[in-house]
Amino acid sequence: MTHSIAPIERAAQSSVPQGKERTYTLIILVDDRPGAVDRVVGLLRRRRASTQTLALVGSERPGVIRVTAQVTDSDVAVDHLLEQLRKLVDVRQAENVTRQHSVMRELALIKINSSITTRNEIIESGRLFGAHVIDSTPETVLLEVTASKEKIDELITLLEQYGICELARSGNIAITRQSSADMEEEISL
Amino acid sequence: MAIAAKAMQQQSTIHQTSQQEEDIRELAGSHILCEALVREGVELLYGYPGGTIMPFYDALTSYPTLHHVLVRHEQAAAHAADGYARATGKVGVCVATSGPGATNLVTGLATAYMDSTPVVAITGQVGRPLIGRDAFQETDILGVTQPITKHNFLVRNTEEIADIVHEAFRIARSGRPGPVLIDVPKDVQQAKAYYHPLAAMTSDEYLCLHVSPRPAAYLLSHAGQLIAQSQRPLIMAGHGVILSNAYAELYAFAEKTSIPVITTLLGLSAFPDTHPLHIGMPGMHGPAHVNEAIGVADLIIGVGLRFDDRVTGKVSEFAPHARIIHIDIDPSEMHKVKVATVPIVADAKVALSALTEVVAPDDKNVWLEEIRSWEAGDNERLQGVRRNNELPDPIGIMQAIRTATNGEAIIVTDVGQHQMWAARHYCWTRPNSHITSGGLGTMGFALPAAMGVKMGWPDSTVWVVAGDGGIQMNIQELATLQQEGLSVKVAIMNNGYLGMVRQWQHFFHADNYSETPISGPDYVKLADAYGVTGMRVTQREEIETAVQHAMQIEGTVIIDFVIESEANVFPMVAPGSAITNMIKEVPEEKS
Repeated sequence: MTHSIAPIERAAQSSVPQGKERTYTLIILVDDRPGAVDRVVGLLRRRRASTQTLALVGSERPGVIRVTAQVTDSDVAVDHLLEQLRKLVDVRQAENVTRQHSVMRELALIKINSSITTRNEIIESGRLFGAHVIDSTPETVLLEVTASKEKIDELITLLEQYGICELARSGNIAITRQSSADMEEEISL
Repeated sequence: MAIAAKAMQQQSTIHQTSQQEEDIRELAGSHILCEALVREGVELLYGYPGGTIMPFYDALTSYPTLHHVLVRHEQAAAHAADGYARATGKVGVCVATSGPGATNLVTGLATAYMDSTPVVAITGQVGRPLIGRDAFQETDILGVTQPITKHNFLVRNTEEIADIVHEAFRIARSGRPGPVLIDVPKDVQQAKAYYHPLAAMTSDEYLCLHVSPRPAAYLLSHAGQLIAQSQRPLIMAGHGVILSNAYAELYAFAEKTSIPVITTLLGLSAFPDTHPLHIGMPGMHGPAHVNEAIGVADLIIGVGLRFDDRVTGKVSEFAPHARIIHIDIDPSEMHKVKVATVPIVADAKVALSALTEVVAPDDKNVWLEEIRSWEAGDNERLQGVRRNNELPDPIGIMQAIRTATNGEAIIVTDVGQHQMWAARHYCWTRPNSHITSGGLGTMGFALPAAMGVKMGWPDSTVWVVAGDGGIQMNIQELATLQQEGLSVKVAIMNNGYLGMVRQWQHFFHADNYSETPISGPDYVKLADAYGVTGMRVTQREEIETAVQHAMQIEGTVIIDFVIESEANVFPMVAPGSAITNMIKEVPEEKS
């Protein structure tokens, strides 16, 4: 926690004006012990945090789970949420990476209705977004794509005309980067 | 300190290697649990046996230093452990079986969690092969207690029992204290493992090595500047002062700066009420001059408090002109309710002593005189209030207890009107002599908690002050008191109502006394049935004699004070209002 001694221009958590919410990406490293992830999720629930995505997976350290959560809330509420997360005994680290240079990616598996006439169009549309064909039958095409959430949203909009019969998305995972390269440039695929 | 700690660590390493081999024994999990508790210095446990905790109870008889108190309801075990912890600063321990035993602890754990008291709860759990299969008396107590404990553990194998016990004590005591639950499956208690007594560090050893750091110099100097500039500063002392044993530091800081001191409900007795700088309790039932002082203050130095809604009222109008120096050990309390100009995340004892060094001696007497003049005006106005002079009055009862005990007693209060009367009208001078459930407001807390307080301070007089509603919630603990041979004095303020709810109905629900009239047993006969002494007082002039008589009787005494049925606690701030907007007692025309 950084403490500034300059007058603080911020609201307290209890007096946040409505309509100031935005989406924040949090990376939380927790020990892989019984109930550890529960405690993180339970805290999000207790605080009525609006959780958009939640991804849980092991990290580079054995016995440590990396939780990537996207929550929509006011910035002071997110600061408070982080402090409360850090109080959990199993939490090793909790960071808000929204304002840092970070890369965010999501994996989507999209099963689309197809016919002989639309099949190539679908594959071509997918290719523009870097999607791979995983499976193909006379009735469906299964695409796999890894991109930013926005790109995936765009691809889905594009494919809706053919009819999406099933969609699986992983939710965002994020990592901070050392360089300060333009994030957007990197994301455009 | 660091050198001493290092030396201690080296010493303990040498000690470990020489002793470890001969101390390693193969023991059942239940015995390892007891061994670890003994190593943590536990002397008292409050609990209730049952199916899945039986191996532990079986082992318990081999450990004569662990004194187990058989309560009559597990909720009382948690409150007693909490009371013991609050009064002594040590960890209170409670034990229950799985299922209903464990769920009965829940209210007690939530009470301890809200008021940051160090409690360790040990619960039995069904055997590992049965977990998750809806076995008899199976409850997912980890899931149930997750939001009301600082941490909880499921012991997965016998080898980890000792480590978990020591870690639980460390978590319960360190930083902002709180309750920790250890859930031990029955087969883990039965299985054997090698116990290495010195393999894990006890919480004492850990806390010796981890001393609270001094706040950063720039924060201290900024705080010092704000204090020097302020004309109308106030110190608000909360439970953190008591938890960190910072009485002397608060005293020294207040005296050096001559800043008036407010003590919150849980901060009562952190600073002597008799000190000229002490002005009272803030918030919903605080005296008018305290809330008015907050309304015009230009600096609030909040020490170990969390600006609870019962203290602040409407937040935007709480201390509207004040800048805030907030000292708390919990970083998540900073800016939670009020934005702190200087947030100091530190132990109250360390922070106050550091802050006292940087401030210059000052005289804020003009400001104190101003507050005192408001207080005098209010007292004068109250002279005109007409009162019933026949029935025992709550203020008179508190004053009689104070006189009879010379202020040396520990007072344990329940929740409701009597709690506010006690808070306001007992003159708190003995440090940590006020024990109450503040954050959760748990009715039924006082009697079982007093049991823990009395066992923590066997030579002190312990008074319970409770309403006729709350006392009936855990009245069964009279049997435990009797079985343990404990002497606790109980004053019931009996008005035949759930008084505080009735008061709200009076002010905010047009006197619609929905389900607040309450009857009770004949407390004199009840006392007799439990083998303790009972008295009933119906006249004001009998209060002092009754209290003094109770003090002379050995053993537990219950005094049923029949008080005015519809007396209100004044002043009162309506929930959600500014604290300067108080409902005050109105002087009536004398007939």
